[in-house]
Amino acid sequence: MALVTARNVTKRFGALTALQGVDLDIRKGEVLALLGDNGAGKSTFIKILAGAHSQSEGELRIEGRPVSFSSPRDAAEAGVATIYQELALSENLSIAENVFLGREITRRVLGVPFLRSRAMRERVAELLEELDAHISDPAAPVGSLSGGQRQAVAICRALNLNAKLVIMDEPTAALAVAETRKVLALTRRLAERGCAVLLISHNISDVFEVADRIVVFRRGRKIAERERRATDPEEIVSFITGAHPDVRALEQANL
Amino acid sequence: MSALLGAWRNQPVLLVLALLWVGLISAIALFQPHILNVYTFTGILQFASILALVSLGQSLVILAGGAGIDLSVGGNVSLTAVLTMMALVAGLDAGWMPLLCVAIGAGLGLTNGILVTRLGFYPLIVTLGTFYIYSGVALALTGGSAISGVPTWSLTWGRGSWGVIPLPFLTLVLPAFIMAAIILSLTSWGRWIYAMGYNERSARLVGIPVDRVRILLYTLGGALSGLAALVSLAWLGSARPNIGVNLELESLTAAMLGGIAIFGGRGHVFGVFAAVILLVTLKTAMLQMGFNTVLQVGVVGLLLILVLLADRLSQHRG
Ligand SMILES: Nc1ncnc2c1ncn2[C@@H]1O[C@H](COP(=O)(O)OP(=O)(O)OP(=O)(O)O)[C@@H](O)[C@H]1O
Ligand SMILES: [Mg+2]
Repeated sequence: MALVTARNVTKRFGALTALQGVDLDIRKGEVLALLGDNGAGKSTFIKILAGAHSQSEGELRIEGRPVSFSSPRDAAEAGVATIYQELALSENLSIAENVFLGREITRRVLGVPFLRSRAMRERVAELLEELDAHISDPAAPVGSLSGGQRQAVAICRALNLNAKLVIMDEPTAALAVAETRKVLALTRRLAERGCAVLLISHNISDVFEVADRIVVFRRGRKIAERERRATDPEEIVSFITGAHPDVRALEQANL
Repeated sequence: MSALLGAWRNQPVLLVLALLWVGLISAIALFQPHILNVYTFTGILQFASILALVSLGQSLVILAGGAGIDLSVGGNVSLTAVLTMMALVAGLDAGWMPLLCVAIGAGLGLTNGILVTRLGFYPLIVTLGTFYIYSGVALALTGGSAISGVPTWSLTWGRGSWGVIPLPFLTLVLPAFIMAAIILSLTSWGRWIYAMGYNERSARLVGIPVDRVRILLYTLGGALSGLAALVSLAWLGSARPNIGVNLELESLTAAMLGGIAIFGGRGHVFGVFAAVILLVTLKTAMLQMGFNTVLQVGVVGLLLILVLLADRLSQHRG
């Protein structure tokens, strides 16, 4: 059974239809890449999954249960973690503090939640080790990390929340080659741990390196869904640009 | 020497303030040795009590970001003192005085917090508005004159001291700063305040109740102004409608001098404490040396710039 099932998901912003009847399954242990031109509706779709928007129509189910999120917190509680394009990290806090921010391990004394800093640092050191992230000190400030290392911290955060679905919106957009490799490796490792990963990217070669399946959005509709093994970059590009004959036919029919 | 260097790196503000204070004391010892005695010391702590409480509230509000600032602190202190005394004069049992001060101060702070978070007004504008309202009402209610009749038991506390340390300083200021320091550095609430102060968007994304925390901090700042009003009543023996004049400027100066970043998310209350002591010592010394008020304000401004410069330099090295 699919971890996440989206049926007929539609989102309107006033007169503009940003998403139109999207059906999509996301499975455990797979990296699903979501591609599409600017304005195709990718961010809108993941914001609905992440609880930042609610859909105008349609249904979302997680492990078969219908869900409706009214806030990112709801989504996080249901096991959906989102790593945003502009990372949501606090540079003035340490790695461990960022990983646990909003859900610190505490010991209550007279109702006051005192931090258990050592427990948190140890847990984060474990996670970093597991991810093979090459960051040695969980107490280091996030402000001192490179772009790739920051992605690793954000991924740690998702893992620590026991996320079942991790959404990554262009995680490699601002990274140099070596850092991109590392983040892609982290993405694979997340899937190997049994998470479902939904990856948005404009970089076709990254997608072909890491994804198991590829979905293409165009003008708010899902126009293609392929196993990576059953397709090639040319075909995917033609879907994105609308040059593919299927897309032409579809768009003709919808006019 | 290496210890000094380490301190410079970790707490440049605190070190600079301490050095300035030592310099100041040496200058006094050179030019006005007769004022260098325990009475002056007690006096400084006594004068510092009101400013310290107000500056702590100011710092917490600034630390939480969102362009947070509270210009109404002075008006709050004046109005709280006046309203409390009016209630006592009208027949309320005097035992309620401390609680009433805290409650009124907190209420006035809560008003700021609601206007800022729920209605989305800019804190600078909101608290400028409430500053005029609070201080205006305090003045209107009293016609500008003081209301006497503070219970004598409170004067015993307000003017008393334990050794050389004034009781209000010992029983309110020290515990308030220690509690604030503990909460800021050892609890998750502290992490949330630093996180939302530095990057509010990310704080919201991770589910920190940003608006609730902010309302609470404005309320807490108001309650600290209320405590400052209590200290003023128990010290001066009357409610003066102008007791809070200039507190907004002085508390802002103390917060900035103490290393609280104006954009939020950075700074420690120990720095603010040191800045308050330095400011009050400086004012006392200048008063004793016969500096006029204009010159006093100029010296405080110069000090502010010097400390900011030191902070800049240390950040470039780190
Ligand atoms: N909050 C909003 N209000 C109104 N319109 C919006 C809003 N968010 C997105 N849109 C519109 O919805 C459409 C889809 O936008 P979306 O951000 O989902 O595209 P995208 O596929 O993520 O594009 P990109 O690759 O540029 O990030 C666009 O036409 C966009 O202008
Ligand atoms: Mg987008």
